[in-house]
Amino acid sequence: MDYDPMAMDDSESLGPVVKISQADKQRVKFELSNADIAFANSLRRVMLAEIPTIAIDLVEIEENSSVLADEFIAHRLGLIPLSAEGVENLLYSRECDCDEYCENCSVKLVLHAKCTGDEMSVSSRDLVPTADRISQNLGTPVIADEDGLGSLILKLRQNQEIKLECIAKKGIAKEHAKWAPSAAIGFEYDPHNKLHHTDMWYESDAKAEWPMSEYADWEEPPQEGEPFDYDAVANRFYFNVETAGNIPPETIVTEGIKVLQQKLAGLIHELTEGDNENGNGDYNGPRSPEFNGGGEGWQDPGYTTPYGNGGNQSAWGGGGATTPYGQTPYGGAGQGGWQ
Amino acid sequence: MNAPDRFELFLLQDGEKKITEKVFTGMSNTSDFILMKEDHTLGNLLSENLKQAPHVMMAGYKIAHPNVPEVMIRIQTDGTITPREALVNICKQLVASYGQLGREFQKEFALRQYADQGEQAGLNAQGQGNGGF
Ligand SMILES: [Zn+2]
Repeated sequence: MDYDPMAMDDSESLGPVVKISQADKQRVKFELSNADIAFANSLRRVMLAEIPTIAIDLVEIEENSSVLADEFIAHRLGLIPLSAEGVENLLYSRECDCDEYCENCSVKLVLHAKCTGDEMSVSSRDLVPTADRISQNLGTPVIADEDGLGSLILKLRQNQEIKLECIAKKGIAKEHAKWAPSAAIGFEYDPHNKLHHTDMWYESDAKAEWPMSEYADWEEPPQEGEPFDYDAVANRFYFNVETAGNIPPETIVTEGIKVLQQKLAGLIHELTEGDNENGNGDYNGPRSPEFNGGGEGWQDPGYTTPYGNGGNQSAWGGGGATTPYGQTPYGGAGQGGWQ
Repeated sequence: MNAPDRFELFLLQDGEKKITEKVFTGMSNTSDFILMKEDHTLGNLLSENLKQAPHVMMAGYKIAHPNVPEVMIRIQTDGTITPREALVNICKQLVASYGQLGREFQKEFALRQYADQGEQAGLNAQGQGNGGF
């Protein structure tokens, strides 16, 4: 069963096409065309729920004389976005050799504030990562506001004090939403509702009452009296990926693709395991490396070529360092090969 | 509390296999594949693409209960390839397609940054005033 990834069948000969309409620190908007809805939607789902980031998971409170309960503060701390730069080198605590946590699988942050004046605000700027972390910016609270304060955690009145220690761990949003890299992902298609996938509720006139999509100009509006096209399918999708601050928006997209590819490569690996014994073997694909720890053969720091003829390094080939994400951490297209 | 741990949604248990094939004897050339700890992301993606694949007569998936992270995919082929081969082909094709999407995206993004830098450079040049031209 030979397969050449470069040769796709005719309907795929063009493959997915991307057009970026906006890109800045907070969001990237792009159109994905020549793809089907399942393809687009799986990318959306994976970007929402399965990209690893880092978030506070354990809080040890030494002193809390504020008006807020310990667990209330702990919950707020969990939701604070931390920079995930370098998170690919961090282990999941459950896969680490340590007892509970260590510098290989966590980042420690401390918070200590006492109000000496009348009132004070404690924000994520006051969360200080301790020195022993595996990557320089990993776990640093994200500060995106103009005043440089970050997210407000709590307020203190005179003589009130808060002192605590946080352990931030790696995780994915499927476990808890605090690990989500994206604040929101806009996803739409068929701005004129030609496919009738939506029913527009209306008082008297749907056209007058519903605002036009910002992408309405991108596609041909339906002609007056045009018959319904039963064969039409959606093939242009408009994404709006907004980051929570922990991962740059463009990296959410590339990482999402990577996670999906790993999932698929894991299936290929399991389904063809027997085939490989006789010959072209070196198929050391990840056994869904991120997720099903414990499996044998997962000692490599990165993934060995999950799919393809072993050897040459691919997107997720050897060592985290060659991944598109790792190579030029943040910002910019290194030439991380996509398989 | 008897709530299951949230990570049971995506972490295989000890000895659990990601995917198993069960031949379905009620139909010719048909197999059911059980994917453990997966959801609609793979279920829908694979079955929708299988429907469009050559030699595949029928494909569909179900997730029997929303709290149970198991996906069942049923595939019937015309007999020239096995359901397993059909599934492997689709996975490979999708890895390639997503790879192409990644390359496309990075290319577009790099071009955009290049254009933005050009704009920046233009502004700076203007800022430096008339350099004698
Ligand atoms: Zn550890």
